[in-house]
Amino acid sequence: MSESMLKLAGIHKRFGELEVLKGVDLDVQKGEVVCVLGPSGSGKSTLLRCVNLLEPPEEGEIFLEGHDICKGPGSGTGEQSWELDFVRQRVGMVFQQFNLFPHKTVMENVTLAPRQVLGKSRAECEERAKALLERVGLGDKLNQYPERLSGGQQQRVAIARALAMEPRVMLFDEVTSALDPELVKEVLDTMRELASEGMTMMVVTHEMGFAREVGDQVVFMDGGVIVEQGKPADVLDAPREERTKRFLGLVLER
Amino acid sequence: MSEFFHQYFDFTVMGDHFSEVLEGFMKNLLLFAVVVLLALSWGLLLALIRQLPGRKLAPLRFLTIAYIDVLRAIPILIILLLISGGIPYLNFIPKEIRIPQWFGQPDPFWYSVLGLTLVYGAYMAEVYRAGIEAIPQGQVEAARSLGMSHSQAMRHVVVPQAVTKIPAPMLNEMISLLKDTTLASVVALGESVLISREILAESFNSSAVILAGLMFLAITLPAARLVDYLIKRNQGKITRGSHIEVA
Repeated sequence: MSESMLKLAGIHKRFGELEVLKGVDLDVQKGEVVCVLGPSGSGKSTLLRCVNLLEPPEEGEIFLEGHDICKGPGSGTGEQSWELDFVRQRVGMVFQQFNLFPHKTVMENVTLAPRQVLGKSRAECEERAKALLERVGLGDKLNQYPERLSGGQQQRVAIARALAMEPRVMLFDEVTSALDPELVKEVLDTMRELASEGMTMMVVTHEMGFAREVGDQVVFMDGGVIVEQGKPADVLDAPREERTKRFLGLVLER
Repeated sequence: MSEFFHQYFDFTVMGDHFSEVLEGFMKNLLLFAVVVLLALSWGLLLALIRQLPGRKLAPLRFLTIAYIDVLRAIPILIILLLISGGIPYLNFIPKEIRIPQWFGQPDPFWYSVLGLTLVYGAYMAEVYRAGIEAIPQGQVEAARSLGMSHSQAMRHVVVPQAVTKIPAPMLNEMISLLKDTTLASVVALGESVLISREILAESFNSSAVILAGLMFLAITLPAARLVDYLIKRNQGKITRGSHIEVA
C-alpha cells in the first residue's frame, strides 16, 4: 500500500499577476482516494488541472508512478517541456460540466479516444465501452446522444469515457456540483464503486459525506496552499487550523 | 416613361441576346463553383493554422492573421489586376502555369479563380473562426485530457461542431462570391457582365445588362431567403433551449 502513484513537490502556478498555487506538496499512494476540500478560489481545481497538465505548473515537480513527468531542467517553459502524452494517457479526468461531445453518441464518446489515441480496433473498443457503460448502469443508452440524457447519466458516461483509456489515476473536478440534488447519489455511487475496486483518485468536492466515507486522505486548501491534511475523521471532526474550522463550520451549517 | 422602359426593359433586345448573356452567366456559375470549393478548403486551412497552439508557432499565426486582415482590406479588383497584369510577364514561371489554359478554360478564368480564392479564403477563414470560437473550451479540454493531440481534438471534436454553427454566414459569403464573379470582366473573361456591356456599347440599350442582373437575382434572392430561414431555425434551437431532459 506504500507504493507512490503520484507525488507533487513545490507546485507553483500563476495566471499573470495572480499566484493561484503557492507551493503545494502532496503524496498519493496507489489505490488511495484523496479528497480535496476548500473554498472557491483556493486553488483546488487548478491543482487537479496541474496534475494532468491542462495547466502546466511554472515551478515544481510531478512524479507519476515514480516517473518525472517534467522532461528536463526547462520546467516552466510551457507544454513542450512536459511529458504530455505520458500523463494524459495515464490520468483520466471528469469535469464539473461533463463536457461530453454533443455530436457523438454515448458509444462514440467512449470509443473516440481509445480508437484515435491508442489506435485500437473499433470492435475491441466497442466491446470494452459496452462493458464500461454497463458497469455505470447505462448499458441501454449506447446509441443515445448526450442531450437526451439526464445530468447524472451524462456524468456517468463521462466517467466511463475516462475509464476507457485505462488510466492509473482518476481526477474528479467538482463532478456533482452542476447536478440536481436527486442525481448526485448515482454519480457518487459510481465513484464509490470505482474506489472500492482500487482506483487511485483525486476528488475535488464539496460532498463532506463522500469525503468522510470514501476518502483515505482529506486535504484542505486555502489561498493556494494546503492548510491541513490527514485522515477524514481527523480533519473533518477535529480540525487543528483556524481556517479549516471556519470553512467546515460554514459548510456543515447549511 | 415609355422611353425609360425602352431603355431598360426592351424585351426584343433581351430576347435577341438571351442565349449570349446566358452563356456568360454560365461562366459566372462555373467560376463560382470552382472558387467555392477552393476557398472553403483554403479558408478552413487558414482558420486551423490560426488556432495552432504553442509559442513556437506564433510567427506562423501572425503571418496568417496578417494575410487574412490584408486580403480583406484590399479591393478585389486590385488583387485581380495584380494577378492578370503581372503573372503572365514573370518569365521565370513555366508558360503552362504563367498562362494557364487548363480544362479548356482560358487564362482569365484561372486568374480570376486565383484572385477570388485568395480573397474569399480570407473571408471564409473568419467565418470558420467564429464557428470554432463558439465551441466551449471544455470540449477541447475533455479531448486533450483523454490524450488526444491538438489536431485530433480539432478534427474529431471542434471542427465537426463548428461547421454546424456557420451555414448561414457561410451562405452569405457565397452570395457575395457569386456576385463578385462579375469582377472577372476586368480581366477580360467573357462572363455575363462583359457580354452585356458589349451589347450596351453597341446598341446604347441597357436591357441586356438588366437581363444579366435578373439572372443573378434568380439565384441570389432564394439563397437570401434560405439564409433567413437558417438563422430563424438556429434561433429557434436556442430559444427552445438546450436544457437537459430527464430521460
